[in-house]
Amino acid sequence: MNLWEELIERCAQRRLQKIGPLSDQAYEELLLAVRENPTSFVDAEPEQALLVLARALDSYRASHRNDDLLDDDAFQEARNRRLAALRDECARARDIDPGCLDAELLEVLAADLDPDPLTERLIEIQHKFGLDGDDSTAAGPSAPKGDAWDDVTCRPYLRVRAAFARTCLDGSRFKMAAASALSVMDASPSDPLGARHTAMLAYARLEDEAGLDAVDARLGRHESAWSHLARTLLLYKLNRLTAARRSLRGFCQLCEGGSYALLRPTYVEIYLPDRPEAAPCSFEECLLAVREAEPIIADVPDFIGWCQSFDWVSADAQAFSEKNGLDW
Amino acid sequence: MAHDPKREDYERLSLRYALALDTSDPRGATQAFSTFGRRFAQDRDSLPQSDADRAFHLVALATEAIDYRLPFATDEQAETLIRRGREMLEEALSLDEHCFDAERMLSASRLRSVDERYQFLAERVDEVRDVCEEERDRACEALGGERAALGALLSLRPYWRWLASMAEDALICGRNHDAIAAAERLLESDPHDLSDARFTLAYALAKLEDEEGLERLARRYETISPLRAADDAWLILARCALAHKRCDFAGARAELRRLLDAYPGCAGSLIHQTELPDGEFARLRVQPYSEDELIIALSEGVVLLQEGNDRSGRGVFGMWVMREAAQMDPAAALEVARATNGEGKGRS
Repeated sequence: MNLWEELIERCAQRRLQKIGPLSDQAYEELLLAVRENPTSFVDAEPEQALLVLARALDSYRASHRNDDLLDDDAFQEARNRRLAALRDECARARDIDPGCLDAELLEVLAADLDPDPLTERLIEIQHKFGLDGDDSTAAGPSAPKGDAWDDVTCRPYLRVRAAFARTCLDGSRFKMAAASALSVMDASPSDPLGARHTAMLAYARLEDEAGLDAVDARLGRHESAWSHLARTLLLYKLNRLTAARRSLRGFCQLCEGGSYALLRPTYVEIYLPDRPEAAPCSFEECLLAVREAEPIIADVPDFIGWCQSFDWVSADAQAFSEKNGLDW
Repeated sequence: MAHDPKREDYERLSLRYALALDTSDPRGATQAFSTFGRRFAQDRDSLPQSDADRAFHLVALATEAIDYRLPFATDEQAETLIRRGREMLEEALSLDEHCFDAERMLSASRLRSVDERYQFLAERVDEVRDVCEEERDRACEALGGERAALGALLSLRPYWRWLASMAEDALICGRNHDAIAAAERLLESDPHDLSDARFTLAYALAKLEDEEGLERLARRYETISPLRAADDAWLILARCALAHKRCDFAGARAELRRLLDAYPGCAGSLIHQTELPDGEFARLRVQPYSEDELIIALSEGVVLLQEGNDRSGRGVFGMWVMREAAQMDPAAALEVARATNGEGKGRS
């Protein structure tokens, strides 16, 4: 999430409300002016709260810099500290603007809860912000027509629902995960939050080939680490092993370091609040996809063994580790 | 219901014996049969039997050793039991190349993973069916009336057990559609479900979060098992898992209470959630609604209990069941905690 960008847009829109209609060109200039010095445009409470969050996220991200130098205990301690600091700032933002959905979301995610309590908290938040029930869209109670992502005020709602979908997947609530992810895609067909990835993994676990196909087709069958991994898992679960092997080959060949990510799962930090951006089929994306698929992979206990039974998977992974100086 | 190898062994020999008797002399036959029980128990070798009967007897003995005695054995005894069990099964297979029970049971230790075992069972299942059905047809032709019915049952049961293992292995491998297919195939061949395959079916449907399918199955109980209502631990736990999955925590709690009503005083097992090895011959034979039955259901239920990414490693649903059961029966929770602490101390 680029909160600064959103803050800039919100400040510009606030100013626009005050000074009345502007031509497109004039609005662009206003945006430039805000970008130059966003804080000077922050006057209303919602933007003040977002400013607190934007700064808090900056320092949270900066605090990761020395992680590599820490041993396990020191890392845990540093992690607890920075999550606590982030939660404090979220509480501060909520004090400024009790309607700050991003602050609520970030605070509950930064609490680093197990899936069940996190699910319950996210349900409460959705309820509080009018996001529950079948009659409201994933973009919130006052969603505009068209792609809700284009309206910067709808984005927090989409983020909550996307986080809820991922939490459902982690908590082995796969139908709910798929339904929530689809509702995000319905509200925002361009799907910048990548809810489709969650949906595809959920359908793989549910052995629902039609469901997976539909999601894949909906976004033009763009390849990603998730699409390859979900397809491989689905076919393996359906015991169509020749097709599963082809799909595994796709994952390992088309996704950079896919085999390494699969055989050597790496710790991935919790998403605050969104999945970090990664290029399609990059190694970073593979790490995220494997982490998100973890409960599904654990549920097919012989899957990794089956992957390793193909020499090229291990050879590929080892070559990748040597090339990139990674542990093997 | 459940498979009972000792009883099946008895049925095989009694059928063989009845066939061997001279049916033209009913009085002599009755008299001869009166000695059958004693001879079965004390002088088995004097009874007429085929190599297949001898092979099955070895399977029954191996089952006694591996499924029923091994769980209670010391490490030293365990080694002997496993070795003897394997030897008996190998001998059974050398006596009767179609002793599918022996082949299936041996495959569990021969193959490295459950997946390989599943593939092995799936590849062979049609052949097993063909052989067993041919045997059934032969038996029906040679025998009449009730004997034909018993002969048919005896011929088909190895095929049923093959399918039951297939369903269970598919469930463990995470191939839930395959588990359902194997269980349905079994129910088609044995509509009265001697193997209790509907229990495995309930779990596979819960894994696919197929609420309608599970309720359809519950309605089928009336025809599948008229004497046993749809209130076994498997069905209730499957419903409970589904309620938990749709975040209907009150509904899930109600199912958990129902489970404790059906298995009174068993909260400790719900908290502890022991994982046991599955019976190699078939699901272990225990008293319906006993604590042992609940323990088996929970052990098979790890596919539901231990799923999800929670930090305890016990699974999201497993943790929830543990917590809720402890709240419903705090005394049982204390007892489990005490026993677990004792174990910990014993080890250190």
